[in-house]
Amino acid sequence: MNIAVLIKMVPDTESKLEVNDGALNDQNFKYMVNPYDEFAVEQAVQFKEAEGGKVTLLSLFSENNSIDTDLRKMLAIGADEIVVLRQEGYRGDKPLANAKVLSDAIKELDVDLVLCGIQGIDYYQAATGTMVAQMLGMPNISGVTSLEYNSGTLKAKRQIEGGLQTVETSTPAVITCQKDMTKVRFPALKDIMMSKRKPFENKSVDSIDSNDALTSESSLPPARDGGEMIEGEDAEEKINKLIEKLKMEAKVI
Amino acid sequence: MTPFHDYFGISWYVFLLIWSAIAIGAHVYQVGFIVKLIRLGKDDDRFNSWNQRMKEFLTDWLGQRKVVEDKVAGYAHALIFWGFLMLVSDVIDLGTGGLFAEFLGIIYLENIWNLIVDIGYLMAGIGLLVALYRRLVIRPEKLKDSSIEGVMILFAILGIVITAFIVEAGYMLGEESHYNYWEPVGVLFAKLMEDIDASTLQTIVDVSYWLHMILIGGFLIEIPQTKHSHLIGTIPNVMFQDHEKMGTMIPLQVDEDDLAVKTDDLDFENLTLGVNKFEDFTWRQLSDGWACTACARCQDVCPAYNSGKELNPMQIIMDVKNYGKEHGNLLLAGEAPDETIVDRFSPEAIWACTTCYACVNACPVHIEHVPKLTDTRRHLVMEASDFPEELQNLFNNLERNSNPWGLGAHTRADWAEGLDLKIGEPAEYLFYVGCAGSFDERNKNVSRATAKLLKEAGVDFSIMGEMEMCNGDPARRAGNEFMFQMMAEMNVDNMNSLGTLKVITACPHCFHTIGKEYEKYGGKYEVYHHSQILNELKQKEKLKIKDYGDKVTFHDPCYLGRIGGETEAPREAIGGDLIEMERSREKSFCCGGGGARIWMEEDADKRVNEIRAKEAVNTGADCVAVGCPFCMTMMSDGLKTLGEEQRTVKDISEIMLENLEE
Repeated sequence: MNIAVLIKMVPDTESKLEVNDGALNDQNFKYMVNPYDEFAVEQAVQFKEAEGGKVTLLSLFSENNSIDTDLRKMLAIGADEIVVLRQEGYRGDKPLANAKVLSDAIKELDVDLVLCGIQGIDYYQAATGTMVAQMLGMPNISGVTSLEYNSGTLKAKRQIEGGLQTVETSTPAVITCQKDMTKVRFPALKDIMMSKRKPFENKSVDSIDSNDALTSESSLPPARDGGEMIEGEDAEEKINKLIEKLKMEAKVI
Repeated sequence: MTPFHDYFGISWYVFLLIWSAIAIGAHVYQVGFIVKLIRLGKDDDRFNSWNQRMKEFLTDWLGQRKVVEDKVAGYAHALIFWGFLMLVSDVIDLGTGGLFAEFLGIIYLENIWNLIVDIGYLMAGIGLLVALYRRLVIRPEKLKDSSIEGVMILFAILGIVITAFIVEAGYMLGEESHYNYWEPVGVLFAKLMEDIDASTLQTIVDVSYWLHMILIGGFLIEIPQTKHSHLIGTIPNVMFQDHEKMGTMIPLQVDEDDLAVKTDDLDFENLTLGVNKFEDFTWRQLSDGWACTACARCQDVCPAYNSGKELNPMQIIMDVKNYGKEHGNLLLAGEAPDETIVDRFSPEAIWACTTCYACVNACPVHIEHVPKLTDTRRHLVMEASDFPEELQNLFNNLERNSNPWGLGAHTRADWAEGLDLKIGEPAEYLFYVGCAGSFDERNKNVSRATAKLLKEAGVDFSIMGEMEMCNGDPARRAGNEFMFQMMAEMNVDNMNSLGTLKVITACPHCFHTIGKEYEKYGGKYEVYHHSQILNELKQKEKLKIKDYGDKVTFHDPCYLGRIGGETEAPREAIGGDLIEMERSREKSFCCGGGGARIWMEEDADKRVNEIRAKEAVNTGADCVAVGCPFCMTMMSDGLKTLGEEQRTVKDISEIMLENLEE
């Protein structure tokens, strides 16, 4: 079974966020693999281990930043090759344009399954994977919490509000992976070493026009006020004061 | 009268030769098997510094330096040991029917030799009685599970001693008794026996002689099979004790200058990552198994064992020996038993170690417990990728943001805001803040206090700012040696680029790793714990610290005191009304946070920090002084759980700053 996994490189959650005149300053960002996509890679490697085949990682990213170290870890987990599509002016918040480039790249591969995270933790749009499915004309199951494969049939479980849904489809298909779909392994040292010899290709792709919705302004959440310490003689008095405040000031009880 | 006559018409010598052949043969065969097993281990070149090794051997082995730290059992053992060294040649005399003594007579040494042997038997006898009294009457808690074997052997050896006296006495008695006062105890026995009639006396002497020889032969056969293998095993163990600085771990690979091979040049084809097979250990790690006497001193001081965890350091050493014994034939045939070393130790035990080195420090015969556990961790992390889940977060955090919490690396120097410190500039000292001092709220205050005091005293120092990284200790103690090495190499590059020569740190783990372990990665620095520098400044009155009378106790961090060798500077720096805990200085009890334990889960009913916090509470001190960010966290949490929050936990620097004269 040949599998393509789409990987989005997103700013490290601990990167310094700065907004200048309503625009996000991404100059000092460090990038990491989108955590949802790590579940997709792990799932793909598990399928490969069971069924044979190849796992190809596809990532669309801007031209300049170096992202090799973090991406190579996905090879250490067990993926076979990486193709990074380098695009001038790439933006993470243009799912339609990005899905077009990615689906064109997938068409060149002969794959039975496309896996990716449900969403990127940069813009949380949860759109690209589903759009890729549409463009490839493949069925799509989104937000999958567990996935089984049995001779051409995929059985997916989806956690939905108040219940669990089981969905089946035949391959090829596009699956977007929800958090904790599987436990991502920590590669052993020999796998880390071997990953250095696996193919890692950078390929230029053209920028394309799209009618994606555009971010018009970015801003940081307002700074939180300091909390209030409730003073009192003993625990009982403090609790009474707290209840009073929850009732009268916060009006939550 | 002597026992040297015919029995059943056959010379006594025939019987003795047969028995000696059996006993010595069985002894040599078994010892040979053990030697072959130990030689399966990897090389560890300790065949150097012979002068130092001889001195250590004389004080530690012959002088029983660490054995006698336990006053009762230790001195009983020393008496038996010295006694046997003095009397051992008697077996040659008894085995040659007195020819040896005759020979000594020719060179005028017989009398003095008789005296030495007699006193030797007496010393051994006294030692044995004390040991029996301890096992049968005192019955220390730790011996309650020990087998009857120990008592049986003590009685057997006592038998050897008593029968020797009887045979000695027999020599003196006969048709005409002549007491040899060079054998005073023998004379005592002879006086007791002189009224016995000749034929009964002959029987007593004969039986005693053969009992003596049977017991000695039996002992020879038994030695390799039980903990008495320590009679032989301690010789290489003490002679080839570790000459590296305590607590330093070995690199993945070393070059001919004993420096670590750079990560880029590691030869992965020929690299064993940690230990999971018997033969992955070095020969010296294997010999530990046969040197162990099961004295349980390591068990007594182990924080993991004493908090009810799976780990017992003594069991780990027994495991090495028993594994070798049980799978010996397979191992020698070059085959791999189904059971691995990790299976035998159990992962729970392996992950319970805080690497506090209390066990190593307590061991009288230089057994190295901790490396066995950190080596198996290396296997579990780098080879098997099978380790506690919390550590995966730790490794990811260290990799991405070079601190255990995974907080933004760009915020590393935020604690120093407003202090106007040199950042990333050349200076006399580099203040290496460390992760806890940079990111942990409570410990940031320690960094600020230290920086303020250094500034106050006019010390020229700089911090590295965002350029500083984790020193790699958490990765290293958690078995991720490769990650440690990459971090160490980067850190050394950064520190060298600043021209660093002298380092100050408030974290004993940074103190240890940078000061003692970076050397092999190209980083040679003079590293000081902040208490050492601050105390010096106080003594030179560059810092004027007021006298104060608060009751304070000091909790020695393992990597500063026992492992680091510094116990006095922190005490002098703190001042105040210092009350010591029952266990202090190099005998201090770990807070539970070392060995990357602070990043792992700990069962609520098995917490090391509560044991230590209780000891601190028992002193009645209002303030627990610490010198380590992890001790800070563990002791604060421990006091909280005990409901003793009114007692404060403060770093040395904080106490000094509070009492700084304006």
